[in-house]
Amino acid sequence: MRTLLLLLPALILSGQTTPAPKAAATVKTASMTKAPAAPSRDYKESGSPTATVEIDAYTDYECPHCARFFKDFMPQFSADYIQTGKIKFVHRDFPLPMHPHAQLAARFADAAGEVSPSLYDVVVDQIFKTQNTWSVNAPDGRGTGDIDAEVAKVVPPGAMQKIRELVKSDPRIDASVSKDVGMAMNLDHVPSTPTIVVISKGKREVISSIMELPYNSFKKYLDEKIAGQ
Amino acid sequence: MKRGLLIAGRLILGAIFVYAAWAKLRLPWIDFAGALNAFEILPESALEPIARTLPWCELALGAALISGIWQRWFGLIASLLLAFFFSVMLRSYLVGLKIDCGCFGPGEALGPKTLARDFSMLVLAIVVTVASFRVRRRPPPTTAEPVIA
Repeated sequence: MRTLLLLLPALILSGQTTPAPKAAATVKTASMTKAPAAPSRDYKESGSPTATVEIDAYTDYECPHCARFFKDFMPQFSADYIQTGKIKFVHRDFPLPMHPHAQLAARFADAAGEVSPSLYDVVVDQIFKTQNTWSVNAPDGRGTGDIDAEVAKVVPPGAMQKIRELVKSDPRIDASVSKDVGMAMNLDHVPSTPTIVVISKGKREVISSIMELPYNSFKKYLDEKIAGQ
Repeated sequence: MKRGLLIAGRLILGAIFVYAAWAKLRLPWIDFAGALNAFEILPESALEPIARTLPWCELALGAALISGIWQRWFGLIASLLLAFFFSVMLRSYLVGLKIDCGCFGPGEALGPKTLARDFSMLVLAIVVTVASFRVRRRPPPTTAEPVIA
């Protein structure tokens, strides 16, 4: 009994200390294996998952043309093709090195997607809408850089706390951004943002002049692609 | 010597046109249509036909210049085409459009560098054309001995 009493603190201590690294290791392994194992859809995807035409859009959260892309192009495009399930749409991150806050903005958006897929679009929209406040495109030429404050305006506090934790250190966020950047540079050779890639019949067609195109011209091109399947 | 320079100039010009065509044809026509629309000179209805055909015209022109057939006339066409391109680019730059040049595919902003490059291509085309006409008009040198009365 005395021995047991003597051993008890040791057992408690060992219970507190030794499993911790194991738990950390388990969490790390879980987070690293979660992405490939998860059967659920990627939060960056929308539209029909079985559509024969896929459109990938590369954007940089600090690029003014990308903000215009989301404000002017996306609503009509979404109504015509994404919501109708005519295509599969994938939003990809391509933060450019000349934009000091673009990487962080991508982390916030991706973290929101990890917390809840439904939050992804809300946060993407908010980041682009408030670009003139936090980015280098602000009137003072520097911006606040405080993306957290802007995102917090549209996300419930509980979810916001989870987003902050993910933004700080979660390797899935780095992996998500790095994967997109790798695709932009090595696969699609994206020259500028925004750039869209139309994928059909295994062929990838890169369109970097999307913001210069009249919507009807693009619509005609895309309708031909969809009809040609 | 002058004939050699003329041939070199013609080949360089032809290669430039072939490269410009290849840079556009490897991308979908809609991408070039966007680049064309950025210059704000074409109606929307003209974008598709021009975006689909202009790169092929450039390819044919480049091939013709390299082959040397009807070099005076193809040189003249190249000069006129480059003069048109240069004037459109200069006008867009002067009105302050922040757009891509679109000359050799995407990702190249219109600016002093692209204007200087296109101007030098125009000068080359004019030199090739003028030299072609001069070479053609010069009477062939005679090898016959003068007849002594």
